[in-house]
Amino acid sequence: MSLSNLIQNWNSFRTRRPYEGQYDDAPYKWAMVIDLDACIGCNACTVACYAENNLPVVGKERFGKGQAMHWIRIERYWGEGDAMTSEFPDHGAQYLPMLCQQCEAAPCEPVCPVGATHHSPDGLNTQVYNRCVGSRYCSANCPYKVRYFNWWNYPDRAWPNPLELQLNPDVTVRSKGVMEKCTFCMQRLRAGMDKAKTEGRILADGEVLTACAQACPTSAITFGNLADKKSKVARMWKNQQVDLAKDSQEKSEEGIRGYRILEELNTYPSIVYLERVRNLEA
Amino acid sequence: MTMSNLDRRDFLKVLGISGAAATLAGCGHTSIESGVEEVMSYVHPQDFVVPGIGVFYASTCAQCGSGCGIMGKVREGRVLKLEGNPESGISGGKICGLGQAGVQAHYNPDRLRTPMYKGEGGLTPVSWETAHQILEQRLGPNSPLKGEQIAFLTGGVSGHQRVLLENFLETFDSTHHVTYDALSTATGRAASKAILGAEQPLWNIHKARLILSFGNDFLGSGVSPVYMARQYALFRKAPRGTLIQIEPRMTLTGGNADRWYPIKPGTEGILALGIAHDLLQHEEFSRGVPQEILDLVKNYDRDAVSDITGIGSDAVRLIAAQLWNNTPSLVIAGPSVEGHPYGFSNAAAVQLLNVILGNRGQTMEGQAEHPFPQLTPTLGSYHALADLNQKMAAGKTQALLVYGTNPVFTAPSHLPFGESMSNVPFKVAFVTHMDETAGHCDLVLPLLSALEDFGTHVAEYQPDGVEVMLQQPLMEKLYPESKGYGDILLEILKKRKPEAYAAFPDYYSYLKTAMVKAKPVFKVSDSDDHFWEDALRNGLVKWNGKPTSLEAKLPALTLPKPAELTTDYPFYFVPSIRPDMRDGRHAYLPWLQESPETMTTVVWDSWVEIHPKTAEAMQIKEGDILQIQSATGSVRAKAYLFPGIQPDTVSMPLGQGHTQLGRFATGVGVNPYKILDPIFDDRTGELAMHATRVALRKTGEHQVVVKDEGPTTFQNGQKLVATLSADQAKLSKEI
Repeated sequence: MSLSNLIQNWNSFRTRRPYEGQYDDAPYKWAMVIDLDACIGCNACTVACYAENNLPVVGKERFGKGQAMHWIRIERYWGEGDAMTSEFPDHGAQYLPMLCQQCEAAPCEPVCPVGATHHSPDGLNTQVYNRCVGSRYCSANCPYKVRYFNWWNYPDRAWPNPLELQLNPDVTVRSKGVMEKCTFCMQRLRAGMDKAKTEGRILADGEVLTACAQACPTSAITFGNLADKKSKVARMWKNQQVDLAKDSQEKSEEGIRGYRILEELNTYPSIVYLERVRNLEA
Repeated sequence: MTMSNLDRRDFLKVLGISGAAATLAGCGHTSIESGVEEVMSYVHPQDFVVPGIGVFYASTCAQCGSGCGIMGKVREGRVLKLEGNPESGISGGKICGLGQAGVQAHYNPDRLRTPMYKGEGGLTPVSWETAHQILEQRLGPNSPLKGEQIAFLTGGVSGHQRVLLENFLETFDSTHHVTYDALSTATGRAASKAILGAEQPLWNIHKARLILSFGNDFLGSGVSPVYMARQYALFRKAPRGTLIQIEPRMTLTGGNADRWYPIKPGTEGILALGIAHDLLQHEEFSRGVPQEILDLVKNYDRDAVSDITGIGSDAVRLIAAQLWNNTPSLVIAGPSVEGHPYGFSNAAAVQLLNVILGNRGQTMEGQAEHPFPQLTPTLGSYHALADLNQKMAAGKTQALLVYGTNPVFTAPSHLPFGESMSNVPFKVAFVTHMDETAGHCDLVLPLLSALEDFGTHVAEYQPDGVEVMLQQPLMEKLYPESKGYGDILLEILKKRKPEAYAAFPDYYSYLKTAMVKAKPVFKVSDSDDHFWEDALRNGLVKWNGKPTSLEAKLPALTLPKPAELTTDYPFYFVPSIRPDMRDGRHAYLPWLQESPETMTTVVWDSWVEIHPKTAEAMQIKEGDILQIQSATGSVRAKAYLFPGIQPDTVSMPLGQGHTQLGRFATGVGVNPYKILDPIFDDRTGELAMHATRVALRKTGEHQVVVKDEGPTTFQNGQKLVATLSADQAKLSKEI
């Protein structure tokens, strides 16, 4: 694909999505809310993701080279600026569960030379493994750094027998040379949506959860269908005054916690974070 | 079953339901089912087995002692994933990372697959036939062993596994069940018992307006982390409660605090008395307070306390003022309070605040009385191991059985348990993995994994009534040569006391009979079979008990000012407990090795945490290899610069440094247990794990620290984790 093609695609892509009312007639638009005041940084979500999605353990050496395959990770920060403001972290640490933000205008999508990363009708940013040629442009373009490349053929050694018996049969085990990322547990969604379709209905709120949301001991992660106005996630987005199709949010008053990370990059993420709260007088 | 040779009282004892439950109705259904009928063929699957569809079965997580109900997703005969069981009052449908990794314990490639017996060339595989012969010869009906000649050493054990174990010992006229826990909370429990009359009160976290935690990592490695995390989530909803955490090294819970204070290790009790001193200035609190308490705190004014603890006098005033303004509050103590020569007094002084603040009956209650005392967990201590070690060293122990604990790895070097084991002629280990202690044994028996075996579990912390948790196999056993712990014990018992046990073909039938026999206590009117099926389906049987009330007594406290640091050992040494590794027993689980420790994000390693200011003064950079030298020994580890630590303190995580335990654990990091000094709590005799002092020596070597965080640990002005002041948040309007 030529450079001019890339640029042309980029422009059309950037002007096409998202728009107001985009999912009004759609049955599904998957979205999330993560309450950073409830997140305790315990890593239940990250291990749940390894278990659900056949993530390989890469070992110390490869982890050190930045080749870890954790689709969701807990980032830990010590301050909002560029240095400590006091000798100690007086108000605790800042924990951030970081996973694919399932951007509506995903920077990873238009740069894929083979269309391996694309947008699904229910608003997910997906990776088609058997199209991927491993250019890694998508990862380079992702501002959240949540795309993971298979530098090695992990099926060869990541699951010494009988660990491979734990592998989830609903999830592809990826081989060398392809990119992978959080899918919002697409296999669970697919099974649930198919079942609902057979029964002539759409999925009920909470009927399908991502592995991370299901495990989370503090229920900091709320997952659901944004196209269903009655779903908890849709009500939370509305309550927090975050509009999927806007790149800056107007709030009616102070103290409303919802925001999207790096929204100013016009990525239109599908995950709303709720600000961490601290009693600063304590 | 035949009752002819066994009187009724003995029969109930066999099943672990004497005591409160001895008033049970007469024999009802006692038919025995071995569970064999549950095995199904996929050629003729039962209606509920659909290839390609996962089915969930309830069981109980055995990764720690919290007793969380879990659901295992089983598909085509394999267990694939664990979730929380919503029926469980403890887990409430949630599960932690450690619990998730239960499937990797089950499918671990380094599981022991056959019995091993020590011969000329060390431990070699033997058949079960041989193993049984050896067991019968040593422990069978003709065994001359009696009383303390036999010792059963375990970690925390509860339910019918405990009953069977103690019944087994009883056939030797022995009560020599030794429970050892390397992370024992015995000192804190003793202090709580002395002052409140309960070793482990219930904490109504969600009702507290303020939690003041002295080093209790209740969200990470505490008594029931998943339950506490669920309660914490409620605590943070409107009207949002405040968490203040005081500890030398920031724990996961400390990272969630509204205000975090670094304190000089061992001075927590003095700070608590300083806060009490300030509180008692208010008439509302001092009214009705016994004179002895007023006398106790009178010398602990703010300035004096501030000098000793390193917490500013303004901070002492502020903490007291907040306790004053936010009732009810909850004050709790953790390992960093208990692990000192005056740990008991330290912890009791902290608990005293609850008495002064009137938190009893509000945020603290006694746990419900247990209908089956024999099923309650045995809780470990260090001194139990030290006593056993002495007996072994003196040659008094003729047979040692080890289950669920690994003292050769976790005991400090001044308690040479491995050496003492050589004085014991017959040592048996019950393990799923060959660990350091099993390596010193004569006979090592391969156990079923927790996902293959039956069992019952009763947690130490029972938030609501009492739940007897059922553990059931989620799949057929992977290795034909592995056996259940209960089955092995039962086989020996059948030989030693056939009149009581011969009727039980296996542990399953024993468990079922015992549970069904206990049915009346649970006030269930179903048929026996329905009761049992429901119990298995729900994963638990619940007994509705009411919380009890707590007392308030003042034990004598000894709280001297800790000795100053010396030039020989200029740093306090604080071992930290990783929520996933605990005492090190989980180091063989690759998911946990690769799961970044939240505070540092380091993986697959040991490290030593040092405050950046201290590091700067000593010209230490991240990755410099330091030798950490105590009076007892030394280890080498990479420096990690960590702002959440008291500047005269260095900290290392426990759990790594295995020499055995499979490919994922061996060769990773070092074992800080081995440098702990022989310092003990003056009341309980427990090892004072936070009282060691060390020197740091730079070796001149350097290695990259493998960690998840990037080159910066700051947000650099980007809105990644935004923080809102609590007074501006409108939590009550949120969904």
